Amino acid sequence: MTVLGFVGFTSPGLLLALIGLPVLWILLRAVPPAPVRRLFPGVALMRGLTDKTQETDKTPWWLLLLRMIAIVALIVAMSGPVLNPEQATKTNTSKPLLIVMDASWASAPDWSRRIAAVETKLMDAGRQARPAAILLMSDPQPVSFVPADRLKQGLVGLVPASWGPQLDRIRDMVPTVDFDTVWFSDGLEWAGRVEALDYLKSRGAVQIIQSMQQAVGLLPVQTDNGALVISGLRSSPGSQQKFDTVIHGTDPAGNAVVFETVPLMFGADALKSEGRIVLPAELRGRITRVDIRNVKSAGAVTLTGDTLRLREIALIGGSGNREGLELLTPLHYLEKALGPEAQLLFSPLTESLLANPDAVILADVAVLTPAEREGLERWVEAGGTLVRFAGPRLAASNVSREVEDSLMPVRLRVGGRTVGGAMSWGSPKSMADFPKDSPFAGLQIPQDMRVSSQVMAQPDPNLAERVIAQLSDGTPLVTRKPLGEGQVVLFHITANAEWSTLPLSGLFAQMLERLAVSGQSSQQKQQALAGTTWQVRQSLDGFGRLQDAGQLAGVPGEALLGDPSGPMLPPGIYDTDQLSFVKNVLDHDSMISPAVWPVGTNVQMLVERSERPLSGYFLAVTLVVLACDIVATLALGGRLITATFAVLIMVQPSGVLRAQDYATIASEVRLAHVLTGDPRIDTIARQGLSGLSETLFFRTSIEPGEPVGVDLERDELAFFPILYWPISPGQPIPSDTAYAALNVYLRSGGLILFDTRDADVARFGGGSANGRKLRELAAPLDIPALEPVPTDHVLTRAFYLLQDFPGRYRSRDVWVEAAPADAELSEDMPFRNLNDNVTPVVIGGNDWASAWALDSNGMPIYPIGQGFSGERQREIALRFGVNLLMHVLTGNYKSDQVHVPALLDRLGQ
Amino acid sequence: MNRADTFQIEADQQAAKLPDLLVSAENLASTVLSGVHGRRRAGQGDDFWQYRPQTAGDLLRDIDWRRSARGDQTYIRQRELQLAQSVGIWVDSSATLRYASQKSLPTKAQRSRVLGLAAGIVMLRSGERVGLAHKSLPPRRSPLQRQALAEALALDVDSEFDVPDIKVLPAYSRVIFLSDFLAPIDILQTTVCDAANKGIKGVLVQVLDPAEEDFPFRGRTIFQSVFGSMKHETQKASDLRDRYLDRLAQRRDALSQLARRVGWHFGQHRTDNSALSALLWMYQAIEGHKR
Repeated sequence: MTVLGFVGFTSPGLLLALIGLPVLWILLRAVPPAPVRRLFPGVALMRGLTDKTQETDKTPWWLLLLRMIAIVALIVAMSGPVLNPEQATKTNTSKPLLIVMDASWASAPDWSRRIAAVETKLMDAGRQARPAAILLMSDPQPVSFVPADRLKQGLVGLVPASWGPQLDRIRDMVPTVDFDTVWFSDGLEWAGRVEALDYLKSRGAVQIIQSMQQAVGLLPVQTDNGALVISGLRSSPGSQQKFDTVIHGTDPAGNAVVFETVPLMFGADALKSEGRIVLPAELRGRITRVDIRNVKSAGAVTLTGDTLRLREIALIGGSGNREGLELLTPLHYLEKALGPEAQLLFSPLTESLLANPDAVILADVAVLTPAEREGLERWVEAGGTLVRFAGPRLAASNVSREVEDSLMPVRLRVGGRTVGGAMSWGSPKSMADFPKDSPFAGLQIPQDMRVSSQVMAQPDPNLAERVIAQLSDGTPLVTRKPLGEGQVVLFHITANAEWSTLPLSGLFAQMLERLAVSGQSSQQKQQALAGTTWQVRQSLDGFGRLQDAGQLAGVPGEALLGDPSGPMLPPGIYDTDQLSFVKNVLDHDSMISPAVWPVGTNVQMLVERSERPLSGYFLAVTLVVLACDIVATLALGGRLITATFAVLIMVQPSGVLRAQDYATIASEVRLAHVLTGDPRIDTIARQGLSGLSETLFFRTSIEPGEPVGVDLERDELAFFPILYWPISPGQPIPSDTAYAALNVYLRSGGLILFDTRDADVARFGGGSANGRKLRELAAPLDIPALEPVPTDHVLTRAFYLLQDFPGRYRSRDVWVEAAPADAELSEDMPFRNLNDNVTPVVIGGNDWASAWALDSNGMPIYPIGQGFSGERQREIALRFGVNLLMHVLTGNYKSDQVHVPALLDRLGQ
Repeated sequence: MNRADTFQIEADQQAAKLPDLLVSAENLASTVLSGVHGRRRAGQGDDFWQYRPQTAGDLLRDIDWRRSARGDQTYIRQRELQLAQSVGIWVDSSATLRYASQKSLPTKAQRSRVLGLAAGIVMLRSGERVGLAHKSLPPRRSPLQRQALAEALALDVDSEFDVPDIKVLPAYSRVIFLSDFLAPIDILQTTVCDAANKGIKGVLVQVLDPAEEDFPFRGRTIFQSVFGSMKHETQKASDLRDRYLDRLAQRRDALSQLARRVGWHFGQHRTDNSALSALLWMYQAIEGHKR
């Protein structure tokens, strides 16, 4: 191969033919285009007329140039040009070639380039007839050498994994023969790398190819003082770098949305960087993942699961209408203690329970209404945590006096006790250390904490096991009992500083933390995971996309936290019973560091310069130029009829929407039909709507413009009161965005008239091809319950009085939104007061468009029935169309009972 | 079906579109001062003119008994006097007319034959004596004349040009000349002047193909006459256009001057226009002469 700069030629000898070009130039110049012979009687008048110019006797220079270009391109194409030719490997070896790829998440961003490079290597090996093998270290499988060309087909199927390579297993995977190695490295330091390199070197030459880009990753999102902290890592320090991290979540309906973008700035020498953002609690709870924009790698994704959700705690004070100082209200201290880490609800109890809070705190609330009590019990039994504080009211009440109240952990003695006051003896008591099995175990008790008043528990047999904190004299301070799935906790003191100094200390907050932590949305700890088995629901692939994980074996809880990810333990979302757990690629304490290769290793950078044969392009140029030459020659010879160009200019089919038309469309009422892609059906739909528009124009005050064909994928639907949607089995299913637009359209008062056009052969729901297609098309649509048009539906009297709705066929199966269940016929009314809205869909199969269709002379296009009855049917069909439009545009106006007398009169009743 | 039949059918179709000459002549008579065709006096003819009391000298067989039975007097039924005109039609049958620039258009020959025959049929129907300006078929009034006309018109002449023969026409007759008049104008001039000397009035209808009027040619071209005796080569046909159109205009000018000088009418017809308009024009032009 001869190489000239970037281009090489496989058979450069052919280029010598270019020498012959000047000769060709002279030859071509001498031959003028041949004249056309024409019969023309007018020649009798032409006697004696001579040409003014003799120019076209020779080929014009530009035509010559065109032909020259064609010939040059042809010669070049034949000489086999190759862009970026690979220099042949220095040693012509026939050793097998092993291609090792780390194939971890870090190689995902430039995966396609790696695959392209692998392909080049394979092509090279193929030319040298070397067998080859590809070994992905992230999921190593034993390999054997096969002809390199056979591997090329499988390249597209290779994908990176979301975990690291298992380099220590390389020995078991390769055959025993000697081979050369090309190692596509991630550029990251993985365990066992040096050993693997040594092993490969012992078998043959090793070439390392790694990316010039450095790897970046995201650590799990943490919360700090109400803010979200997003931290990122990069593998090597360098210049300043800025990444955008994107916070994804779901909207209340469960659709994916992007909440916020947070910039992540890496300083000049920093390996780690942080971004902070404060989001409303409502949004925080719905965050699903955070990723780095434009980095397609599992490492640049961190899933959040439930960890960011704020705990919701309902605070209920006693009927606090005393005009106390703020510092005296019990809720003040609770509010401060629970702080920004929880979302506090202050609504009345019954309303708060609807929000299904994680905990409910009752501060000195003695009496609950039966409804509140019932709701609270049900909620606790379903797993809620109820924390109660004592106080003067509880002490004075009879709650849990004789019989243990279900929402109190213990029975209480009358009155309570006060120690260390002016009128009592003794001194205020301090707290005893927490028992070992108490949830508070391990918390430090401040020395200056004193309790001066408390309510006293009756010494029942089960009292001892319910005490989780006590005073130094052994009287219970905090008691707890399980109730169903949940628990009820009673602090025997007030939540303010009246009875004790506990609310003033940090211990108070810690105790509440412990109690709330052991509630539902707690973070799992390693011990808490012990003995559980988790099943992966969705796993991250190497590019950071969540996928269905398929059937992987369950994973024990300890392994989930402790073990590194791997083929059997992919990062992703894991489920057990009620809980879900998120395993991310990078953990809080993960580091990523660049690979350092030993001196003397052959390391190359991955560059995008692949060999590319150019012959095809040059041949294409030749063909195009020759085609131009044909046109030009014809034009010169006068054979080219300009009319052909007119035919070639494609006429834009009418009725298709263009963006710039919206202004005109919005200025009048227009009927629209969905373009199905079947030209015949679309034509009928357009003709039908145009016929209906004419009818409306003549008979009513609706004066619609020309109907419009709507492409669901591109066009805005908001301008059209009605969409006519003929169903054909072959039409494509709209995309998700199109469906989203359709649902918005339906919700905002649009109407879709579905027409299966097969009422002559099929009954509704009878499973015709069109019916099945309709079901398929309408499945993602937000369609309410349907019923056949009731005889008192507003469609029957919106303009004309109608009882059935024929089109080209006269099936009675026309379905609209079902009437509400409580619609009743009252004595003096001929019809019920039905839906308040326009029905979002009308479904039938009567092929209305064919019945409505009129040609430009106003004559019907498609025959209906026979003779007069057919024409009558067409008239009724048109009346149905008028009623439908009236219904769409005026809603339930005709349902208004004001018109009843007039309508009764008309009905002759 | 032979060619004569084809022409006749086509011509019949064209003729059927015109109202009968006499019917329209009656209409015209009500608006124009002098009668057009009926001579407004009793004489030989087909149409009823008047009842007249019988006077001495009337033949007994002229009495209209039905009318006379209504009264005591006997009446004679008189018919309107009708005079017939001789019309000679000449359709150029030379090779130069056998040309159509597009397949969808009729050749000039076809069109001019249809026009000629249609005019002949209309005249025949209104009782004129119609023939060709050629000795093979002198003007005659007979039911067979229509068939004879069709047959005579279907004949082709294999020459570059064709000449009408006016010797067979009686004096003061009418002629219709249909041709493209692209041949040298001298012969035509002599013929027309001779005819005018005999008191013959007529119309000249130039039938041209759209290509001949528009000259839509470009590039290097060899133009060739239909018969093949004339050729003209050009390197750039588009250059030729203006000068060709000039010559065509000159020729038309000469023709219309010639017609004006002898009191004839000169008309033009393009084969992509409807034949009916040309027929109407010819009809009116001939009528003008009769007035």
